[in-house]
Amino acid sequence: MPTDSRSARPTTWSEPLGRYGLIAVGGAAGTLARYGLARLWPVATNGFPWATLVANVGGGFVLGLILTLVVERWRPTTALRPLVAIGFCGGLTTWSTLMLEIAQRGRHGDPGLAVAYLAITLVVGFGAVVAGIAVGRIGAEGKPSLPVPDPDSLGDLGDAGDRGHPTNGHDPSDGCPS
Amino acid sequence: MIVAGLLVGGAAGACLRHFVDRLVQDRHRRNFPLGTLVINVSGSFLLGFLAGWAEHHGVSASWQTFGGTGITGAFTTFSTFSYDTVALAESGRWATAGRNVAFSLVFSLAGVALGLALGIHL
Repeated sequence: MPTDSRSARPTTWSEPLGRYGLIAVGGAAGTLARYGLARLWPVATNGFPWATLVANVGGGFVLGLILTLVVERWRPTTALRPLVAIGFCGGLTTWSTLMLEIAQRGRHGDPGLAVAYLAITLVVGFGAVVAGIAVGRIGAEGKPSLPVPDPDSLGDLGDAGDRGHPTNGHDPSDGCPS
Repeated sequence: MIVAGLLVGGAAGACLRHFVDRLVQDRHRRNFPLGTLVINVSGSFLLGFLAGWAEHHGVSASWQTFGGTGITGAFTTFSTFSYDTVALAESGRWATAGRNVAFSLVFSLAGVALGLALGIHL
């Protein structure tokens, strides 16, 4: 398995400011949505953090769906990944709040709640990603699909990375015009 | 003011996440989402520190929203963590998927606890 697939791409496709602009807009929108959920669903220090759970599960579903559509179904687009995947889903979901909520519940004498909250988040969160991918593939049976990128290119799929992959059919120059 | 801080913090956190991920992943060619791990562990430490400091020294609600909900909230991500884990499992790399979950949890919980302790006692 080639390990230099990334270096094959010129590193001079310098991160265009436009890409960061889209990430900023998506990130601000996702953060605002997460804050809105927290306001709608206030939780006591020792209560079950429903708002964070809903944000994380919803963001996992949307990310699984959008990455499947972008990578396997739709024609390559330049804007959706930074705007929706990296920006919105990344801004909507959070890991630091999840960890703090677990630590606070552990500290304040309810380790059972901490463990249950963590387990439910992981199980339902992974399930939401799987469901998003499955929904993205509805109707794709029998149609030629793009090959599943090898794990070496995980960064291509993760919402924090957008490095074109030589085997996924994307034009390596599909980045935002600089 | 709170909404303005959220928008700025969320935008900055998301951009910083992309920047750090690129920085880490470009220097690391192993089949492991190290960039997201670094982001989530460091973000958990920072939020723990902020929460500890707020608890013991006091931080205004708008600064807590800006720093906690905005910057560290948007900097760290659950969706990429889950997606990467599912993608690793789907490609048969269950051990790597398990390592990703274990490392993320162990280091982030240690980070948030250390941050809390430092914020409270400094």
